Amino acid sequence: MAVPSTDIFKLGFIGAGNMAESIARGVSKSGVLPASSIRTAHPRPQRQQLFQSFGVSIVQDNAQVVDDSDIVILSVKPQVVKQVLLDLKPFFTEEKLLVSIAAGIKLRDLQEWSGQRRVIRVMPNTPSAVGEAASVMCLGEMATKKDEERVTSLFRAIGKVWTADEKYFDAVTGLSGSGPAYIYLAIEALADGGVAAGLPRDLALGLASQTVLGAATMVNKTGKHPGQLKDAVTSPAGTTIAGINELERGAFRGTLMSAVIAATKRCHELSQS
Amino acid sequence: MAVPSTDIFKLGFIGAGNMAESIARGVSKSGVLPASSIRTAHPRPQRQQLFQSFGVSIVQDNAQVVDDSDIVILSVKPQVVKQVLLDLKPFFTEEKLLVSIAAGIKLRDLQEWSGQRRVIRVMPNTPSAVGEAASDLTSYKGQSDLFSIIVMCLGEMATKKDEERVTSLFRAIGKVWTADEKYFDAVTGLSGSGPAYIYLAIEALADGGVAAGLPRDLALGLASQTVLGAATMVNKTGKHPGQLKDAVTSPAGTTIAGINELERGAFRGTLMSAVIAATKRCHELSQS
Repeated sequence: MAVPSTDIFKLGFIGAGNMAESIARGVSKSGVLPASSIRTAHPRPQRQQLFQSFGVSIVQDNAQVVDDSDIVILSVKPQVVKQVLLDLKPFFTEEKLLVSIAAGIKLRDLQEWSGQRRVIRVMPNTPSAVGEAASVMCLGEMATKKDEERVTSLFRAIGKVWTADEKYFDAVTGLSGSGPAYIYLAIEALADGGVAAGLPRDLALGLASQTVLGAATMVNKTGKHPGQLKDAVTSPAGTTIAGINELERGAFRGTLMSAVIAATKRCHELSQS
Repeated sequence: MAVPSTDIFKLGFIGAGNMAESIARGVSKSGVLPASSIRTAHPRPQRQQLFQSFGVSIVQDNAQVVDDSDIVILSVKPQVVKQVLLDLKPFFTEEKLLVSIAAGIKLRDLQEWSGQRRVIRVMPNTPSAVGEAASDLTSYKGQSDLFSIIVMCLGEMATKKDEERVTSLFRAIGKVWTADEKYFDAVTGLSGSGPAYIYLAIEALADGGVAAGLPRDLALGLASQTVLGAATMVNKTGKHPGQLKDAVTSPAGTTIAGINELERGAFRGTLMSAVIAATKRCHELSQS
């Protein structure tokens, strides 16, 4: 149920791709901002109509987006960020906040290319598309407390938000950035296990994804340690502990740790090039 | 938002424990039945008052519950099911439906002990401990279908209408599937035990994050939200998990580097083995 916000500001998107769409939809649906407060630009009519269909305004070009906005979300591909920001440099002012969601582009570079010091960098992940993102933000030197609050409210519309130091962002990428893929493998494997145990495929897959969803919800909502939750459901000589035994024998946890570490290392390598 | 149902029937609970409370609360809150349509019995005033507090009627004893109900949900511990059903045998009729949620008790036994042929067996799988207080469970529910997995199988004389009614009852507390009873051991190995596997996964993701330099609380928060988001993507998009994985693994990128570690560590094979082992154990237990 949308509770209208009392803090209405003008929001603009540079780059009208999937992430921009997910955020814009989430923000207007949750009532953080009315859709009429949101604008973007795009050359293709199909893309324009998609945004207009839920109330977002289409303006002439990116310069216009910046001009008309208090907060500008940069949602273009990392490869074009530098050029886009250099081109928009004349239009940024101290009264505006620049928010970048471009993967791997550091605050230092965002500030240098845009000439903006009032910058926030956000790392969301792909479940933004279904309103369950894990987003982490870091603040540039001149970003204010109000800036942080506003950006938090925007990204809370598509999931959960944390503020952290930029030095953590490679590890955040390795965990929440890449993590969904690890879980897709897990869901497929649970379904395969179910089929091996005799279940029809569609039942196995439906149960697999619902099981993972329920378990994650329990951790999220109870705030209990996952080890504690595991203890509570493993009865003596029961079915669950038999399954756990297989996981421990197979170094299940160690393998997942290694995945996060390897992805973090790769992210760091990429940021050096 | 409760949308009043047009199909009102009389529902009774034999055994007024946590599961009965969860189901009764869910059913009345969602509008499937008015609370006044629900009844149970219990010797302790404290338990009686708890049910009465949200509108459920308390009657004299279990025999009265069966007499007054169209659908009877048997929610007592598995160890006492046989005796309870033998005692209630005189009160069951062909006009009533018996629904059992007792773990591990097969349709064949339910029918034999109760004398009822119109029976549905339900296996609720909650990601929490069975003993957890129902009020704790209900307070966590944002959407009920995020929470429980309900699999049911139908006895020979259960009708289509019976199946629909029971589906609507349990939909109030989770997602419902109908399946053949022969699948129930595997359902336990997957959905019954599965949450524990995921608790290990969430802990491991957090540990990986800490190894990579994150503070613990951030790592744990990101870990559980990441798992939640991924499962929501599979649920909501209906796409194959392999397809979703393909879409997020860019060439020589961070994600495929992580995937490589998982494949080297036989991550998927290990999870499969867990489901198979748990299923095998469930089968062993049901033989004893």
